[in-house]
Amino acid sequence: MVLNKKMAAVGLAAAVAVLPLAGCGSNNKESNAGGSSAPAPSASASASAAPSASASSGGDATAAKLTGDFEIQYFVGGYGDKWWKKVIADFKAANPDLNVIESGGPKINEQNKPRWIGGNPPDFVYIDGAGLNDRQMVEDGQVEDLTEWYKTAKNVDGTLIKDILAQQPQQYDGKIYNIPLVLNSWGIFWDKALFKEKGWTEPTDYDSFIATADKIKADGVTPFIHTGKYPYYIQDAFLFPAIVSANNDDYKILQDMADSKVDAFKSPAVMAGLNKIVELRDKGFIDKASIQINHTDSQMSFLQHKDAFIPNGLWLPNEMSKDIPSGFDFGFIPSVTQKAGGKVVANTSTASVAIASKAKNKEAAKAFLSFIFSEAQASQWAELSGAPSNIKGDISSSNAPNFVKDAAKFLTDPNTVVIPMITFNADVEKVMWDSTDALSIGKITPDEWVKRVTDAAAKVSK
Amino acid sequence: MKTSGTAKWQRSLFIASFTIPTLAFFSVFTIYPVIKALYYSLFDWSGMSDHMDFIGLQNFKDMLHDPIVWQALGNDYFLVAGKIVGIMLLATFFAVALTRFGFRLSGFFRSVYFIPNVISVVVIGVLWNFIYNPQIGFLNAFLSLFTKEPVAITWLGFTSHTIWMLLPPSIWAGIGFYMILLIAAIQNVPESLYEAAELEGANQWHQFCHITLPLVWEQMKVSIINIMMTTLNGSFVIVWLMTEGGPDNTTQVMGSYLYQMAFRQYHFGFGAAIGVLILITSLITTVALQRLLHRETIEMS
Repeated sequence: MVLNKKMAAVGLAAAVAVLPLAGCGSNNKESNAGGSSAPAPSASASASAAPSASASSGGDATAAKLTGDFEIQYFVGGYGDKWWKKVIADFKAANPDLNVIESGGPKINEQNKPRWIGGNPPDFVYIDGAGLNDRQMVEDGQVEDLTEWYKTAKNVDGTLIKDILAQQPQQYDGKIYNIPLVLNSWGIFWDKALFKEKGWTEPTDYDSFIATADKIKADGVTPFIHTGKYPYYIQDAFLFPAIVSANNDDYKILQDMADSKVDAFKSPAVMAGLNKIVELRDKGFIDKASIQINHTDSQMSFLQHKDAFIPNGLWLPNEMSKDIPSGFDFGFIPSVTQKAGGKVVANTSTASVAIASKAKNKEAAKAFLSFIFSEAQASQWAELSGAPSNIKGDISSSNAPNFVKDAAKFLTDPNTVVIPMITFNADVEKVMWDSTDALSIGKITPDEWVKRVTDAAAKVSK
Repeated sequence: MKTSGTAKWQRSLFIASFTIPTLAFFSVFTIYPVIKALYYSLFDWSGMSDHMDFIGLQNFKDMLHDPIVWQALGNDYFLVAGKIVGIMLLATFFAVALTRFGFRLSGFFRSVYFIPNVISVVVIGVLWNFIYNPQIGFLNAFLSLFTKEPVAITWLGFTSHTIWMLLPPSIWAGIGFYMILLIAAIQNVPESLYEAAELEGANQWHQFCHITLPLVWEQMKVSIINIMMTTLNGSFVIVWLMTEGGPDNTTQVMGSYLYQMAFRQYHFGFGAAIGVLILITSLITTVALQRLLHRETIEMS
């Protein structure tokens, strides 16, 4: 009897221990009951959709008649799906013989995962949302090499696509796999109305930022709050621009860091950036609450004037639209870490598109790329998604929201350094987040930050 | 002869009709995932790719050299120890108080203490996030009543040992269930034993030590082992809701690190290896606790 009980207990322990694993495929932080195994309805691997060989891979994609099936996977998140519905309808109208299949939704990354693993992915993918990481997809060989295509690719208007992109694609060992579709920028926000009322000067560079922060602190307000639970807010909006400014406005250093090159992290520019965080910390500018709070909490604090500055992205006014007090007037600058008279550094935030390496209809996918990277679709994107598109172009006449137009103006200004799309290695990035958090609460020194991150970089670049 | 054979066959069929479906479900939903997890733990796989590299035990070797795994393991056992002590002490105290000291409102208190068990863990996590919030949190506001300067402690943002802060919500959420379990056990103890003890002049403390405790020991043992197992396997939820393992991994537990590695850092094989570690530690701890807690079974007659 005793033995039986023991066995039962052991068995129970085993069962409980393994339950988290049983749900591995769908163990996402959001509940997605059965999501991982839901097959896409029209995913039958009909190899009949062989692309017509007559289509030339270069510019005039519209000249070739596209046939067969063409499947698009798009994640629906903060930017919504209005634009996708519209652009797909437009594309269908332009290619009546093509059977365009839409796989869209907020859970689509999870739902289509088994197909990517099984080697039967959709043709075209929009890389956004949890569960998709462009660098990982490149490393896994899941997306098509677009290097050659990108050199000569023209959009449907006959313009070279590379000439009209505001931020250039990321290069992985000199190769291009995904094209940034969205143009969003990190930066520092404040409330213009409050600054006017209190007589604080709006910052234009690091010196004026520090001087204003001093004054703000003297007036009894905490100058700076960030999101310690997700340290990428302070990294993307403060640390990375600081590093680029300290590197004579050359963003190559960030690209090297993203490629996990150990020497890049040892550069004095990185140290200069870290020391700026230390300065904020030691002068007591950083709200002590920052370390444990998430973005909503930090943004609420900022809106309630508990803190004067917040590092965030251009989506902030949209995200908090319901909670913005009346009279609140967003002031924004992409970076505050440049020297007086130095160039503003805009660290971009983006979502990109790519073609699956195992796509069955690559011709249609390339034609779709040419179709969406056009000025007509760009202004539609800004209008329907509430974020600037990655196409340079005048959207002032479109119906896009005002702050989107303002941001677009900022980002196309020749005196702004626009950092191209950058995705870090996930392991190195996690160590950077942990270290930045630790640095911001005085647990480690900048030297230890560099040590930790270089160790992580050395490990992954082995 | 023939009839008895049929009866026997029918009996077997009857038993099989209950056991075979259960066995089938158990195999599909428990045995198969265990084997699958063991299998994945031997591969270097991103969790997304269509190819996997067999690397033998490399994931386990890496695990030995990963300080975060050790930190997570330590945090897990800290939570196990803290929860066992905290929950068992309080649950036993409440159970005894609500049964042996029969007072009028005991039914009401029984419901009140059980309420946290009815609340979803997600709500508990959010609730305690608000309690711990340094700016608008209840805890700082309460402490500020006694100080001149407003208190602004970041309860979930210490440079180390932040895991201590996850103990109160875990204990608070766990008491009710084990309290009910012990109440049921105590109510099964024959009243005559207490009456006899009363006549002999034993006070409440003696009655607890020599009657209640020995007679509910089996239930306490089950409770302790259950707390241990649910903590090792389920501490993930409260950690993920409140800190996501941060700041700087000070609240990382094995479950949260498994999630982090498998789904955030694209090392599914390594994540599976952590899962195997959870399995092994659960088994070892269960056996060890069984040994430690073993006492002569006392039968009530």
